[in-house]
Formats: sequence, structure tokens, C-alpha cells
Amino acid sequence: MKATNKLTIPDLITIGVFTALYFVLVTIATFGSAFLFPGFNNVVLPAFCALISGCVYMLLAAKLQKFGGISVMGIVMGLFFMTSGHFIISFAGNIVMGIVADLVAKMGNYKSKKGLLASYVLFSYGLFGPVIPMWFMKDAYVANLEARGKDATYIAELFANINMGTFVLAVVLTLICALLGGLFGQKMIKKHFVKAGIV
Amino acid sequence: MPVRLDPRAKLYLLLLSNLTLFLHVSLRAEILLVILLLFLFFLSGKLKSGIRMTIIYSALVGIDFFVIPVAEGLLLNFLSMLSVGIRMMLPCIISGAYAFSTTTVGEMVCGLRKLNVPECIIIPCVTVVRFFPTIAEDYRQIRSAMAFRGIATGNVALLRHPAQSLEYILMPLLMNSNNVAQDLSVAAMTKGISLPGQHTSMIELKMTPFDVLYMLTCTIPFILFLGGVL
Amino acid sequence: MIESINCSFRYQNTETDALKALDIKIATGECIVLCGKSGCGKTTLTRLLNGLIPSFFSGELTGLCSTFGLDPRISAIEDYVPLVGSVFQNPKTQYFNVDTTAELAFPCENAGMSSDVIQKRVTDCAADFGLEHLLHRSIFKLSGGEKQRIAFGAACILHPKLLVLDEPTSNLDYKAIAELHDMIAKKKAEGITIVIAEHRLAWIADLADRFCLFENGMLRGQWNADEFRALPLATLQAMGLRPLCTTQYHQQAIEKSQLPSSGKNPLISAVNLSVGYGKKSPVYDVTHFQICKGEIVGLMGHNGIGKSTLAKTLCGLLKPVSGSITPAKEKERLKNSFMVMQDVNYQLFSDSVREEVMLGATKPELCDQVLSALGLTNLADRHPMSLSGGQKQRVAIASAMLSGKEFIVLDEPTSGLDYYHMTKVAQLLNQLKEQGAAVLVITHDEELAAGWCDRVIYL
Repeated sequence: MKATNKLTIPDLITIGVFTALYFVLVTIATFGSAFLFPGFNNVVLPAFCALISGCVYMLLAAKLQKFGGISVMGIVMGLFFMTSGHFIISFAGNIVMGIVADLVAKMGNYKSKKGLLASYVLFSYGLFGPVIPMWFMKDAYVANLEARGKDATYIAELFANINMGTFVLAVVLTLICALLGGLFGQKMIKKHFVKAGIV
Repeated sequence: MPVRLDPRAKLYLLLLSNLTLFLHVSLRAEILLVILLLFLFFLSGKLKSGIRMTIIYSALVGIDFFVIPVAEGLLLNFLSMLSVGIRMMLPCIISGAYAFSTTTVGEMVCGLRKLNVPECIIIPCVTVVRFFPTIAEDYRQIRSAMAFRGIATGNVALLRHPAQSLEYILMPLLMNSNNVAQDLSVAAMTKGISLPGQHTSMIELKMTPFDVLYMLTCTIPFILFLGGVL
Repeated sequence: MIESINCSFRYQNTETDALKALDIKIATGECIVLCGKSGCGKTTLTRLLNGLIPSFFSGELTGLCSTFGLDPRISAIEDYVPLVGSVFQNPKTQYFNVDTTAELAFPCENAGMSSDVIQKRVTDCAADFGLEHLLHRSIFKLSGGEKQRIAFGAACILHPKLLVLDEPTSNLDYKAIAELHDMIAKKKAEGITIVIAEHRLAWIADLADRFCLFENGMLRGQWNADEFRALPLATLQAMGLRPLCTTQYHQQAIEKSQLPSSGKNPLISAVNLSVGYGKKSPVYDVTHFQICKGEIVGLMGHNGIGKSTLAKTLCGLLKPVSGSITPAKEKERLKNSFMVMQDVNYQLFSDSVREEVMLGATKPELCDQVLSALGLTNLADRHPMSLSGGQKQRVAIASAMLSGKEFIVLDEPTSGLDYYHMTKVAQLLNQLKEQGAAVLVITHDEELAAGWCDRVIYL
């Protein structure tokens, strides 16, 4: 196609193909974390996913090299999350982080490795949507106990610690995993796709 | 004749269930909404999924009534909290599963067009749905090819060298995806996907009185909760 | 009408012209067959005619090439859509929708037709081509032939003046080709101009008005149908072309199916075998099967008759539904089997040809020897994915040779190949055979079966 800065139809189809791959990896991460860390699956999900999806993200960025691709991927991801019954905040999270990640990658002209890595870390935080309901869960549980006339102060304090702790854990874990996953992705792109002359 | 809702009505129910979760409606209001949502599965002839969802939800409500009042200790409290969490997510999951399993791609596209969603979102969405089965097929082929090379035969072996397994699976998958993206673009462009002007749909979507009625009925528990009745 | 004057095209990032100084005229209503070896420029011409060049495949275009007055240098791909319908080689990737009706409706929807007009078009198209039973089905559940018929229907739905087909039959069996043939005949009778780039010439011989031979991007010769049919077989083969009549090969293949197995050094045998993917999927019965070391056996039969399922079971990827195979253990068979897949892209994992063929090799000391025997020495450091289709296939065969495995299955190794490249693949089969391997070839190619297989099994 002739070079333009706007997204062309083949670009949109490419985005669709890579979003499907990303979605499959998220699904694998969902089942994987539920299987390996039952109970804490939502906490490790973003990290797990960030660890394995670097290749897909980096290849999409390397192929398109223009603004809009990552944003559209975030929006489409959000739409699919919403219709597959995920909380609507996942939807918002994916869109916002998608656009932010796109902007960061654009600052490095989609070529700077550090820029892309930072962009990938941010994009991975888009998957924090499913973590947020943890709060609702705690509140709802406490409300539930209170409604039944049980003393909930002890429980509320206990879970407040766990939740704050888990949140920090999730943030740090995702950062580390996204960095590792992103670097792995960049290495693979260089090893295979650049050498084969595809990007 | 199975009855199905208009995609826009499904979207409304999806948003409504999300709002239910967001605003912590009371258990009674939630149960009413879930009954209405589950009824849709039976209306559209999805008996199996309907029954499965009903059982799961009833079990979780049962835990709510019988286990939580007597829950003592950290572990039991934690598990109870988990069950409350899952129960609260279920309206979203049920309405999502309904929307997902009863909407064809054509209806989805037509619905999105009627909601004035731009083509730059619709095209990737269609591609995603189109590409899912291809990924599954590709994966099977790649695993067979790996088996012939004696690499990671079986799922346990796959986890033994995770980085290598990821490379061997993802690289052929990505290479092929790259080719498919090109072929799909060529096919779509020769079929006029880039034609200017409003694109239409063969399927005609119309909101029936039944759709509107169902949307309103589902809203009632929510309004009753807001009004403090439920 | 279509006219090309002194037209040349070079793809971006390539060194040589894919099409050189082409002069050709195609009258309205003509049916033209473009033939020649792989990479001769015939696909490039089809892309010029349907506007994909240079809108999608960019490069350097000079000279004139007009399709019903449209000039690719000025007109965009959208302008071609109402005038040209296209069918491509790979049935798996040339549809954009997940169900058949939607695929037929897709061009109409893009053109902005109203719902009832689209429905009428789809119904008429299905009635015209006898596609009614295929409507409202998931495309993923169709056979390759059914997919190509839907693709042809979708190409015709906007009532184009020109149909461009790029190797539409390379993945099809004879029954499916006959059905596609009838669809094309119908369009020809309606006066539609048809351009087909094709390796297999026999099926289209009665419809073609003219044959155009390409070589290295140049138009080498043109014959009208009668002249072309009069050419002796040896002349066609010298030009790298497939025969116009395959009856004799069909006969020979059937004769070879009567031959008994040599019985010396049997490697795998099976009795009263039923193969399938599980309870819900169809099951295929094979009463007797045997393959010996040092023989090439062709496995033939219609699409969907269980050839691949049988091959996978013999390789140890699947358990048989019932019956007995020797060796009985799946693991043991898998250890001694290798399959060269129809789409070799799935089985290339490494970042250089040398590493690729060494992956899982049990005879690494033979590496250089095998690479040079297959003409891969100069490519040893290249990334396998940067190679041409034929080269990739040779890399996969090299892996098979170095793996030291004795049971080698090749799935449709000659689909979409011209005569010249088909004989090259056949020589590779012979090399495997001389190494002492038992070679099973799943194929629709009767010429290959007749010429190079020791025996043929029809399912």
C-alpha cells in the first residue's frame, strides 16, 4: 500500500488479526492463572498476560508504525471483554491504556525500543479491569455480613490489608512481567521477523 | 420458534447488568434481574446453557444464605467472599454469554452500524471473529509439527521450557497470521470493502415491541432498588 | 476489453521486473488461460487486471494496462470492484466472513445496496450456480471445493464484466474442479470475459479460447485453443507445462492401485482399521494397509474421504478408533514418522536453514551432504521464512532426511506446481526412497502418482 499516516483497510484487518491473537493469549492467561493461583487469579492475570503477549504487541507496532493501531486494538479488546461478560471497567481500562500506550509509542516514532517497552507496560495495565472488582467484592462481603447482623470490623480490616497488599503486588508483578515479556518480544522480532525481511 | 432479542437490546441488558454490579444493588433486585436474564436463554432455545447458569447462580445464592451466616475463620471467610464476588459478576457474565451465543456476526455488524460505530472499529471486530477459528486450526497444525520434531510432545513438556515453547508456537503462528492478514486484505479489497459511501447490511434489524418491553421489565428491579423498595 | 501496451512492473524491494514489456489484447467475452512456471509473471498480470497492483502491491509500473478503460496508475482498487470479480488460490484465506450467505452478500453490502436487493442477488446467485444447499453454513465447515464455489459466487455477485482467477484449483480434487468448471462455463456463455492463471490445464482446455505462455515475466507465445491442443506432450513438458489430457495418467494410477505391496521390509501395516477424530466425527474404514521400506505409495481419493486422518493415525498423532496397527504404540510410530505438511509454514521454527534442519536431527553428520543434495547450501544462513514456497518445502524434506525417521508422509507436495517443479519434487521423493524410507504421498496429482509412485491406494 502507498504510505500514509492514516490507518488503511489492510492496517485495520492486520489490527483485527493481532487483536484476535492477543485475545487468545489473554484467555490462556486467564485459565492459566485460575489453574495455577486459584483465588488470586485476577491479581496475577495482568502479569501473566504481559509475560506471554510481548511478541504480538511488538510485531503489530513494528508492522504499522503509525498512530491509531494500538488504540484501535485497545478499543476492540474492550468491546470483546464487555460482551464476554467482563466488568465494564475493563472496557474503559483497555481503551484508556490503549490510547496512552499508543501516544507513548508515537513519541519514540514507533522505533525507539525503550519507548515501545514503556508503551507495552502501559498497555498491559489495561488488563487491570478484572482486578478492580476485588474492591467491590470486599465491600459487598462486608455489607453482606452487616446485613446479617454479624460484626464485620475484623473482616473489613483483614481484607483491607490483603487488598492493598495484593494491589501493590499486582502492580509490581505486572511491571516486571511486562518488561520481561516486552524484551522477549523485541528479541523475537529481531531474531525472526527482521531477519526474514518481513518488517 | 425461538425468540431472540435485537442486538441493541442485548447491549442494553449488558450495560444494565454492569450498572447492577457497579451500584451494588440488593440481592433481591439482583435475583429478579438474573431470573429475567436466564429466561432469555430458554426463550432462545439454549436450554443447556440456561440450566447450567441457573444451577451455578442458585448454588452461589445458597452459599449466601446458608454458609456466610455461619462462616468463621480466615479460609472460610475468604472462600465466602470469593463466592459473593463471583455471584455479583454473574449478571454480567450471563448477559454477556447470552449476547455472545445468540448473535450472528451479521447481526453484530448491522447493530454496530445502526449505533453509528465507525468502520475503523467494525472492520477489526469482524476480523477478530473471522480469525479465531483459524488460530485454533493453526495451533493444532503447529503442535503436530512440533511432535514430529520431538519438541514438547504433550502439555507437561510444554511447560518444562516455557520460553522455548512460546517461541516455537508463537513464531509460526505469527508468521502465518501475517500471511493471512495479507490474504484477507486482498480478498476484502477486491470485494469492495474500501468502497466509499455508507455500507449496508443484508439483515434488517428492527426493535420490536417485545424488545422494548423486555428492556423495560429488566429495568424494573433496578428502579425498585433505587426507590428503596427492594 | 483489456489492452496492455509495453507494460512493465517491478515489485517494491525486488531487483527484477515481474512483468516485462507486456503487449496483450483481450477481447470482451474471451476466455484466456495464462500459463508458465511458478514466478513467470502470470499472477502479476492478474493483479494488474483487478487493480491490486499498484493499490495494494506497490512497485514501479510503466506502460499502459487498461481494464475496460481503467488505468491502474489513476484508478483506485475501489473503481475496479464493480467491473472485476476475483477468485484466489487459497480457499482458506479468501473469504472475509464466517458464514456463506454473509460472504455472498458482502460485496453488495459494501456497494451500499438495500437489504431486499441484496437478498434477491444472493438468492439468484445461489440458484444460478446450484449453491442453495451451501447457504447459511459456517464456512469453516465446508470442503475446499465448496469454499471455492462460494468464492466464485461472491466474485460474480456484483455482475462484473471480467472474472480473474488466480490458480483456483490448486487445492481441489477432480470432482470439485468439475463443479468449478461448470460455473465458469456458465459465465462464459453469458459473454463474460474470463482470465485464468493456472498450472493444471486439462480441466479448462475445452473452455479456453487462447493460451498465453509466460516465462521470466515475458509473454513467450500465444496459441488459440486448437493450435495449443495440437502441441505434442513433449513440447508442453519442455515449456514446463502440465498436460492437456490426464486420462492416461488416471488409467495408470488405477492400474497401480491393483499392484500388491512388495512385502519386503514392511514398516507399518494395519488390518480392519477405523480412523477418526472421536465419537462425534465421521469414521473412515481401511480394511488393509501396508507400506514397506524403500517404496513410494500414493494415497488418493476425494477431499474429505479420510486421507489425512489415516495418515495422522499411521504417524501416531491419532489413536485408531478400532483395528490394529503394527507397531501398535502411538509413541513408537510417532518417533519413526515425519510429515511434510501441505502448508510448510507451520513446521519452520528456527532462524536459519541450517538450524532448522538440525532441529531434532539424529544424523547431524549428514547435514552438509543433505543440504547440498537439495540445493540448499547457499541458503544455509537465510531465515526459512524468507525463502520461496518450493525452497521451504525442500527445507522440510531436508529435516525429514536428517531426522533419520523411516516413515515419511508428504501431504499434497505438488499442489499448485507446474510440470518442471513437479518433477523436482518427484526427484526428492526418489531420494527419500533411495535412503530406504517408506514414503507415503497424499495427493490429487494423477500425473505424479502415475509417474513416480510405486503403488497407489485409493480410499
